[in-house]
Amino acid sequence: MAGMESQNLATEAQQVRVNFTSSEPDLQLPEGKSQLLVPGDIKRYGLSRVLNSGSMLNTSSPVPLDFLVNGTFLRGSLEDYLKENGLSFETTVTLQYVRSLIPPVYQGSF
Amino acid sequence: STHLSEPDEVMKDFGESMQQWTAFQTKTNPLSLSLTSQLRLILTPSQSTKLSGSYRTGKRLNIKRIIPYIASSYKRDKIWMRRAIPTKRSYQILLCVDDSKSMGESSSGNLALESLVMVSRALSMLEVGQIGVLGFGANTFMAHEFNEPFASHDAGAKALQRFSFQQDTTDIRLLVRETIARFRQARLQNPGHGGDDLWQLALILSDGLTPSNEHEDIRRLLREAMEDRIMVVFIVMDDTANKKKDSVLNLRKVQFVKDAIGNLTGDMKMDYYLDSFPFQYYLIVHNLEDLPGALAGLLRTWFAEVNA
Ligand SMILES: [Mg+2]
Repeated sequence: MAGMESQNLATEAQQVRVNFTSSEPDLQLPEGKSQLLVPGDIKRYGLSRVLNSGSMLNTSSPVPLDFLVNGTFLRGSLEDYLKENGLSFETTVTLQYVRSLIPPVYQGSF
Repeated sequence: STHLSEPDEVMKDFGESMQQWTAFQTKTNPLSLSLTSQLRLILTPSQSTKLSGSYRTGKRLNIKRIIPYIASSYKRDKIWMRRAIPTKRSYQILLCVDDSKSMGESSSGNLALESLVMVSRALSMLEVGQIGVLGFGANTFMAHEFNEPFASHDAGAKALQRFSFQQDTTDIRLLVRETIARFRQARLQNPGHGGDDLWQLALILSDGLTPSNEHEDIRRLLREAMEDRIMVVFIVMDDTANKKKDSVLNLRKVQFVKDAIGNLTGDMKMDYYLDSFPFQYYLIVHNLEDLPGALAGLLRTWFAEVNA
């Protein structure tokens, strides 16, 4: 039975609680929509998709976004960020989103 | 410093914990009294007013017995009902406090400890049975054993000493499994076992976050608990006093949908976290002031269901 449970854990990435903020006046989230549980293996492209979805920013056309955590751009996954900074999954990560300067073609690499 | 049996355990200073206990006790005293009086009505069965049974003498005739009485040529004469005497109920109540880091990073940790003080005092004033305190996170530990008295400041401060919100994960599946195991053991060691009608109740004080992929296992364990007549109430500490928008009520989880062999389909799902929360009996507490009424209400509903 223990084996079954650990297998279960292995197939799904652990969740991370995130809180989104932004200083872009035209890209503000409605109140109560700024926090989510996301899979820990999520990266920039996945986060950008999430924020552009109908239940978040609900943009008329996708706005590619970049994410800053503690003042630096998020490059790898959230999981990597936690590991590199000696943090656990108990931490709520605050992500500041900004319009992406990376050319849209880069989006393919989730 | 001295090394303890549990390797990564951090113990707070006893004097500090004593001060904390006294401060919380003073602050929550009116709430404790209110909870005590509300629970007294629910936990201790009132004098039964229902007439039942079949006796040779009694208060009122049992109509269903009349025809058999005549048919048996007045031999089957236990045709009277009496007032039933309720059996004495006793309780074992386990207060489970989340000791994980997420509790310390938010103000939920403080709210949980205040609630622990408030609820444990109310229960010990009721004198309905034994009280235990369990801490959980990556592992579980008993901060107060069932068979030790809880009446003094000392016992409370000793329990508080064990909580420092440093555990790296919140394993609620382990918590439920350990709760069942500890209750099974406690039932055997209950001083009045055999005679009394023993009820076991676990109150979990936590910020409520457990990985969604554990929800099915937790549901299975909760069914097991129910079969053992263990009631589990989850009290979600949701301190929204200074940040209303961060309430767990608004929290949604994102899932990237996978097909049967585990490849991403490109679809995304967003659901409210509490929609798949595995605990049937749960409360969300924003302020300590809400807790006595909400807890009493939930227990009243539950007792009405089990007695129906
Ligand atoms: Mg936690």
